[in-house]
Amino acid sequence: MIRAIQGLSVLLPVLYALCALLHGFAFAGQRSVRFDILRRNLFRVALCVHLALFVERGFAIHQFPIDDLWTTVSAVAFSMAVSYGLVARITDHPGSGGVTLGLVFMAQLFASALGSFVPEAHAGGMNAWAISHVTMSTIAAAALVLSGVHGLLYILLFREMRDRKFGRWFSHLPDLDVLAKMTRRSALIGFIGLTVGLNVGIGLAHAEHLPGFNYKNPEVLLSLVLWLHFGVIAFSGMIRGFGARRASYAAAGGLVAVLLSLFLVLLPHSFHSSL
Amino acid sequence: MDPKSTLTLVGLSHRTAPVAVRERYVVSQADLPSCLSALMKIDGVSEAFVLSTCNRTEALVVAPRGVDVSARVRAQLFRNLDEAQVYAYEDVKALIHVFRVASGLDSVVLGESEVLAQIKRGSEAAQAAQTLGPLLRPLVQQALHVGKRVRAETDLGQGTLSVARVGIDVATRVFGHFENQHALVIGAGETGVLVARHLRDLHIGGLAFANRTLERAQAVAGELQASAHGLDELPALVARADIVIACVEGQTTTLDASAFDRRLIRRRDKPLLVIDLSMPRAIAADVAKIDRNVLVYDLEDLSRVVHENEKGRNAAVEGTHEILVTELHKFLSLRTYAAFSPAIAVLRERFERVREESLDAIAGTRSDPAHLQLAHEITRKLLDVALDQMKESARHTRSAESLDREYQRFLEEL
Repeated sequence: MIRAIQGLSVLLPVLYALCALLHGFAFAGQRSVRFDILRRNLFRVALCVHLALFVERGFAIHQFPIDDLWTTVSAVAFSMAVSYGLVARITDHPGSGGVTLGLVFMAQLFASALGSFVPEAHAGGMNAWAISHVTMSTIAAAALVLSGVHGLLYILLFREMRDRKFGRWFSHLPDLDVLAKMTRRSALIGFIGLTVGLNVGIGLAHAEHLPGFNYKNPEVLLSLVLWLHFGVIAFSGMIRGFGARRASYAAAGGLVAVLLSLFLVLLPHSFHSSL
Repeated sequence: MDPKSTLTLVGLSHRTAPVAVRERYVVSQADLPSCLSALMKIDGVSEAFVLSTCNRTEALVVAPRGVDVSARVRAQLFRNLDEAQVYAYEDVKALIHVFRVASGLDSVVLGESEVLAQIKRGSEAAQAAQTLGPLLRPLVQQALHVGKRVRAETDLGQGTLSVARVGIDVATRVFGHFENQHALVIGAGETGVLVARHLRDLHIGGLAFANRTLERAQAVAGELQASAHGLDELPALVARADIVIACVEGQTTTLDASAFDRRLIRRRDKPLLVIDLSMPRAIAADVAKIDRNVLVYDLEDLSRVVHENEKGRNAAVEGTHEILVTELHKFLSLRTYAAFSPAIAVLRERFERVREESLDAIAGTRSDPAHLQLAHEITRKLLDVALDQMKESARHTRSAESLDREYQRFLEEL
């Protein structure tokens, strides 16, 4: 079992790197039915392998597998890949796969290189509420990162088009409309995930009297601000005067806050470490 | 070429002059007759043709060999213009250029077919002004034939084929789909209708035409299920539009920042795309400064977009080489043969006189009908042999190989 975990951990960054490359080629104009089938299937294989890694880890320790820092990073990478896949499917565009899967590859590379191949079981493990909190928050974090990345790409393409340059971004990025949709829809997935994750987490913290938990804690405060911020972005299409450009700027700004929030949660002295 | 006359082409195009210069030297359809008559007044010019599009203004003239008219044509059409921005070609080089232009090889959008219609319109104007003669009339016809052949037989005729289409492609990069967008097309001329058709094919949510003459707008709007308006309604139409495309012919309309509601654009925070396909330009430069959401493009910007996409079409361009050289050879052979026509007429007359004299000498006025038929047959066959020989020598006056070399040299000098 340990061998299988080792093998999958080594294989995953390679698969994501290939996926990022193929999506990059799709950006650059590579369009054929065979190429698209290869690109999609390889992406599915990578997701299956990633899922298999978590299952293997779960079986190895007979607990919820996301139980340490680098497994959480790997889970964020997995969630980013799944969220990207969902949003790309909804918008019917391979979109910014090169960039997004490049980020997934980087995250998984660090997780595989620095994480432990030999999982250790923790006494008691996580209960069902804790598992659902971790799962939903991980999905939310990944979706919010995606939203921020697409917002950033929108700004880059818009600025290039406004300056009448028609350069690299114009040639390789999807349409402004697609980027705006990806920003908003990722924000919506993140908002839903965060709504569930935060509610479960707060309930859990109160029920278990988690040491260090209070509403003034920067981890909690930042999560609430993020929930509100990306909630506004997710529904910005309905708000007059809050168009794609402003939503993109907001999402790109929110990206910094998401990364900061992840950093705070993953710190060793975070109250989350007692979960 | 005709040994007695020279074909001269003088012009400027997107290759030599920016849009700000080109728009100063556009010859509108209404001004073509006076322009042609001015060219015909140049000493020695016996035929003239003018092609004026958004990307080029060119004059083709025929003058006696040895008389240099290019300087006078330049002074007539391109006064006060930097010499480097004007090009001049003679004889075979002029021919090569004309065929390349007709084939869309010298266009901003490689292979674009609008140029064929523009050549046709130029030829109709020249025909009406009676400035086409024995050299330019067949040349224009041959150029149109070459243009059609190149597009039919190579891949050059596939894909994006007009500047209008490039404008729509840019709009697609902004909006993705058009179902919820409203477009305003200013100008109901040929380009305006072409743009509107593209938008209609892409299921545009709303389409409005604004034109100087309301009747014309109504006529095209009816065909394209659009609304028709006069130019006095422009500010209200612009306020409703997501895409504004100006396709104004001649310097009849200019849209400046005052037509746009700055506060409304800022409040709705949605891209407003303004594309100027007019020559001279119809959108004032200050429109781009109204708000960050306003994206303004003119023909020069679109040509940069095309340049980015052009790289994949080089193989198709190579396929046109053989067709152009073959057609050049055919045209030049026909011209040389046509130059022999006075000699052929003399030869025919002399053959017939010799036949009649011989028949008179042998049988006088009582010729046998069988002998008469035989004599006619022999004369016809001898004349055919002589004509075939002349055709053959005309074909070899300029070999296809030497034309191929000249074409290569022309491309290298571009």
